[in-house]
Amino acid sequence: MQGWAGKILDINLTSGSIETLPLDMEMARLFLGGRGLGARLLWDLVGPEVHPLSPENALIFTTGPITASASQTSNRFNVSTKSPLTDTILHANSGGWWGMQFKRTGYDVLIVRGKAAAPVLIEITADGVVIKDAADLWGKTVFETTEALGQSRNKRNVLCIGPAGENQVRIAAIMNDKERALARGGAGAVMGSKNLKAIVVEGKEKNQPADQDQFKFLLYETGKLLKASPLTSQALPEFGTAVVMNVVNEIGALPTRNFQQSQFESADKISGEEITDSILVKNQACWACPITCTRITKTKSGKEGEGPEFESAWAFGAQCGVDDLDVITEANYLCNDMGLDTISMGNTIGCAMELSEKGLLPGDLGFGQADKLLDLIHATAYRQGIGDELAEGSYRMAAKHNAPELSMSVKKLEMPAYDPRGMQGQGLVFATGNRGACHETGNMLGPEVLALPRLIDRFATQGKAGIVSVHQNSAAVIDSLVYCKFANMAVAEEFFARTLTAVTGVPFTADDLMVIGERVWTLERLYNLREGFTKEDDTLPSRLLNEPVAAGPSEGFTVKLAPMLQEYYAFRGWDKNGVPKPEKLKELGLDSLISNQ
Amino acid sequence: MIDQRLYEEFRDIGRDIFVTGLTSSHGGNMSVRVGDKIIIKRRGAQFGRLKHSDFVETSFQGKDSGIVRASTELIVHRAIYEKTSALAIVHAHPRTAIVLSLSRDEIIPIDNEGSYLLRKIPVVTVEMASGSKEMAEKVSDALRGYKIVMQRGHGCFAIGQTLEEAYHWVSALEEVSDIILEHKLMGEEMIEYRKHSESYAKW
Repeated sequence: MQGWAGKILDINLTSGSIETLPLDMEMARLFLGGRGLGARLLWDLVGPEVHPLSPENALIFTTGPITASASQTSNRFNVSTKSPLTDTILHANSGGWWGMQFKRTGYDVLIVRGKAAAPVLIEITADGVVIKDAADLWGKTVFETTEALGQSRNKRNVLCIGPAGENQVRIAAIMNDKERALARGGAGAVMGSKNLKAIVVEGKEKNQPADQDQFKFLLYETGKLLKASPLTSQALPEFGTAVVMNVVNEIGALPTRNFQQSQFESADKISGEEITDSILVKNQACWACPITCTRITKTKSGKEGEGPEFESAWAFGAQCGVDDLDVITEANYLCNDMGLDTISMGNTIGCAMELSEKGLLPGDLGFGQADKLLDLIHATAYRQGIGDELAEGSYRMAAKHNAPELSMSVKKLEMPAYDPRGMQGQGLVFATGNRGACHETGNMLGPEVLALPRLIDRFATQGKAGIVSVHQNSAAVIDSLVYCKFANMAVAEEFFARTLTAVTGVPFTADDLMVIGERVWTLERLYNLREGFTKEDDTLPSRLLNEPVAAGPSEGFTVKLAPMLQEYYAFRGWDKNGVPKPEKLKELGLDSLISNQ
Repeated sequence: MIDQRLYEEFRDIGRDIFVTGLTSSHGGNMSVRVGDKIIIKRRGAQFGRLKHSDFVETSFQGKDSGIVRASTELIVHRAIYEKTSALAIVHAHPRTAIVLSLSRDEIIPIDNEGSYLLRKIPVVTVEMASGSKEMAEKVSDALRGYKIVMQRGHGCFAIGQTLEEAYHWVSALEEVSDIILEHKLMGEEMIEYRKHSESYAKW
């Protein structure tokens, strides 16, 4: 294969049918792969009448044209589905090895529909595709399942759910390669609803670039850029993603105790520096990645595993008022083993802590109670006691106790580790996120804090909508190729375009990629509009709009969302209700989707 | 209209462009995209002394009277915003780069920093030099593949997410051009030190 394998594997678990379909190459040119192709296929397969946890929902696993090409960070893959947490379109992507290995089986896409009568797993190897009984695996944790199925880094890779997915916890993740996660939005619950425990892949095919000379040159040049960037060559390898903990805290944008403050007095105790000093065993890299940001750590009690990443350290740390790094790290391990999204889990526990402190939730839960974290996570995965409420995510839990405003979420997806009162552009990213409050779909940490590619005024609002839109479009196309966004902090889109051209033999410019990103973003918007979402959903928790930060470098600021949102709709060619105008749809080649409705 | 934070960015970068000799007192222009509008320097405003009143807000498609006061090159700016993902544009008249553009179809840096930042700068030829449709089309087409292009004998257009980014490319281009010119004037043979340097010509 040169870029695309040209094949879709389509499995219906209700009937047991296994089919190979041709990939529509025009669709591939317009949406590339990963998140874009997933969204396009989901548009046709899963309409507004489908409940996310019904057999009619589909799980669409997609790779991109550069996946498995050996271009730096070309290991990632995506899953698209309708989210049981947000009811929006959902895309989630992950690194590791599974995506590369699946691509080597000779497919670009795996569609899983229907529901098996009893627990099953899917095995895809050079010998063929089989659906196997998995009764003996049901109930096992992620680590147990991964080991039982013979995970072998470069030969045989396991993707599975844990107890959280089996119990259809709305914040359940799909895990791959033991501790990598398709984390956000509850894709694990969709997999559980299908009685699908695992997907095992072994591949032999290769993604061989069409222009080998140019590909080698680009590998060399990209390698130079990754080495030249202090972020990708020093900060991430040395301290992991939590290298930004102190940075975000210093500027007053680290949400603390359910976003009641924007600085955590013990940030240094949960920072990347502290992780390196006290618990780091070694770095680890995903396939074909020179950055090596993954942390292999060991706690005082002798437990060892991956993490914590910045977001996880924040979620169980500052968000819950906890500064015990050992407990935070073991909370991370436990989420991986149960198959839970660490951001939503920690954020939801923080919400429960505030509810309890305000007397809205029975019990004596409160901020800083590190000793409660592990029990709460376990209870969530098995829906036991209070865990059954946490399993619904923060919004449904807070709404049940008549305080939905205490859920720090957008479209019911829990917010990650940035207080947008100190990063106005990030507020617009969260409010307009197609899958809810997500930093991965347009992270403004780069321009608003890290000066990547340029430092912009984090409190300014005029002109911010354009920058946010470009970052959202860029993230959408990177998720469609599929590359790692850390690489994008050192390597510009023009390199991705040239590498894509070298791999596929099809010419692409950087601006072609940005148009594809805009097409993907707009299609996701159309999907949500079709589901009944409106501009009223493009908002933030009232705390962020109405309660100024009380102290610190962001003191006095709320998010000035209204003017940015108005500018945002205009920039994107949408009307005042946030609906893409017909001329914009025509420009992006999406008009036929609407006219066919 | 333009707010204080954005005005200060225009003012400071305009001053820097003028004092570093990248344009004459009144030459060149710059703009940013805000929503479905463009904020652009007015025609004839001094680059080094920009005031609040030196800016024009005009619609993206041009159906308003803003064009009366806007820069002559507005048509080029609009075409660039339409065809690329640019959020800011700087047009300047860097002297050494203009000199090189008189005899070259592309400017390929020979210094390390210039190679790293720009790799190659294409030169486009335009018969009607200022504010023409031909110029708008050729320059905007070229900017789909590059972040800065030269118009032969006239000046450069650079794009970025911010004015500062676009200014960076202009400044880098002139440095690249100075080094090429000075090396050529020195007349000594270059010792190639960059692996795969032959590939820059194909960039």
